[in-house]
Amino acid sequence: MRYCKTCKIHYDTDLEHCMFCDGDLEISKDDKSTYKFKEATKKPKSNFFYRLFIFLNIISILVSLAIDYVGGLPLTWSLIVSSTNIYTIVLLAILVNPNFWASKFTKIMIATILVVVLISLSLRDHSWAVGIVFPLAIASTIFVLTILIITNRKKWFDYFASLFIITFIGLVPGLLILLDALDIIWPSLVCFSYSAITLLGIIFLPSKNSREEFKRRFHI
Amino acid sequence: MKKRKYWYKLDNAAKIFPAVSKDDRSNVFRLSFYIDEIVDSEILEQAVNKILPRFETFAVQMKNGLFWNYFAENHRHFKVEEEPAEVCKYFKSIRNSGFMFKVYYLDNKITLETFHAISDGTGALQFLKSIVFQYFKLRGFKLDHEHLILSELPYSKKESEDNFVSNYDKNNKLNLKEEKAYHLSGEKFHQHWVLVYKIRLNTKALIDIVKNKYHVTVTQYVTALLAYSIYKETVDFVGHKKPLKIFIPVNLRPYFDSVTLRNFTLYIKSTYTSEKNDWTFEEMLKLTKSYFEDQLDKHKLHGRINALVGFEKNAWIRTLPLILKQIAFKVGYNLLGESINSCSISNLGICKLPKDLEDKVIDADFVNAGYGIAMTLISIKEHTNIILSSPLKDLSVMSYFTKMLVDEGLTVVADTNYKEDYDEIL
Repeated sequence: MRYCKTCKIHYDTDLEHCMFCDGDLEISKDDKSTYKFKEATKKPKSNFFYRLFIFLNIISILVSLAIDYVGGLPLTWSLIVSSTNIYTIVLLAILVNPNFWASKFTKIMIATILVVVLISLSLRDHSWAVGIVFPLAIASTIFVLTILIITNRKKWFDYFASLFIITFIGLVPGLLILLDALDIIWPSLVCFSYSAITLLGIIFLPSKNSREEFKRRFHI
Repeated sequence: MKKRKYWYKLDNAAKIFPAVSKDDRSNVFRLSFYIDEIVDSEILEQAVNKILPRFETFAVQMKNGLFWNYFAENHRHFKVEEEPAEVCKYFKSIRNSGFMFKVYYLDNKITLETFHAISDGTGALQFLKSIVFQYFKLRGFKLDHEHLILSELPYSKKESEDNFVSNYDKNNKLNLKEEKAYHLSGEKFHQHWVLVYKIRLNTKALIDIVKNKYHVTVTQYVTALLAYSIYKETVDFVGHKKPLKIFIPVNLRPYFDSVTLRNFTLYIKSTYTSEKNDWTFEEMLKLTKSYFEDQLDKHKLHGRINALVGFEKNAWIRTLPLILKQIAFKVGYNLLGESINSCSISNLGICKLPKDLEDKVIDADFVNAGYGIAMTLISIKEHTNIILSSPLKDLSVMSYFTKMLVDEGLTVVADTNYKEDYDEIL
């Protein structure tokens, strides 16, 4: 045991000076004071490179927009650069953030579809992105998640939320067909039908497990 | 029987924690036992995994629903780790096999750090006692549990009950409007490091002073002592527009006949105006005592439970998708959550152990890393540990607090996670 004469505090740790007055501690002959915590070490600022990455992307967006704007024509290539800059930031955030692979995969697919649509809008021709890429990418994601669930049945409830969200998004092409907003219809028809069948399958092919999972996920 | 499928809705206290927790606001608290031998990490891991199925409310992982988070069963193997340097460190459950608690070992110390969403101090203490008891059983010791170790007793469904909801009465609701509180400010340690300063006192000597000299309880005494130390040692409190508000969690189990291991605590508060510039310790103590007597009333506590549960039962809130609720929680908590209290004091009371285990447990720590200064108390064997933790580098309040105890004639034995060379790195 150690002792501070000034503060009249006994110390049961191996400090040499009092925490408060910084005076030397008296150390008794039978002193067995030990440090009972793991020693702290200086750590590098872990998010510096992440911040630098975001900063450089923002600079890239601003510079591109400024140069394109100065050209006097409607913005085109700078919007593509900006979209991809934002996409890389989002992609990094998804990859860095710990989550289930199914969830990461779904988020990456959604982000990719969005950036493709943004690029097509920048090019003033969205028909290929909205009419082909969007429905086929969603249908592929549903397919991959379905395979994951079938092959890894033990973890099916980890993939359930992703599958449920993506099948709902898969119904959007059907809405676009109804609104007559598409030039090419068949990919959207495929995606809508596949999503609807999957969703109906989830709802109307109930095992005890899926009923339970519904109850959990939708409790209010 | 070992259950394969179970799930729980988050209790009222737990609902906000997943949305608002981060590196500098972990909402994690620590309980440690120092035992009479160096911990064998493999046996410790076996012990945790052996008793985990008995503690259904701990063997869970958090899932997202459409409207609320929920706890689902978690049958993964739990891994113990060596204790890190940071106390009550924020962790992501997905990196911990989905579990929302950590079990650490360091020399002769077994530490349980629990995310507040799954349990409070009382529930976590039951879990830690069972881990340590099981550890010694696996080490080959024959111990009598004396009906004090939960893992040795039959499981009751009541242990998993949400007692906020089970005690809800919509006809008795109290108004929960809170004014903002004074905050301690100053330079913080780097890397979200929290200083832990432990004061060990002889329980009998402490109670002698508290009961015979001041005629109050230990919690009332330390609350007033902390308030007075802040009043004396801060330069911006007097004349500050906001009052000093100390929050004290109250274990509701004795009031509502509960044995739940889930959260079942509510805060009472002790408020001291900053407009008065001639406070004496005795005045603060008298005021503290009156606050406690006024608020520790079953009817009033029930009214507050009802108001809190009533809020979550509101149809509009219930039907709001989880993602919007999480944004609302974050914004609401940043605007109000931390601003309504200055610091907190949590007294876990006496840690009662069976005689055979008491011989093997040397000491216990209870740490709650909160905003400003967080104080915790736990009594074990013949001594009481008062632990003050703070992310702030200024130690003047802790120093004055200790001086007051020394001036009362108490023998103060201090311990800390601070080291002299930390000024260079933290």
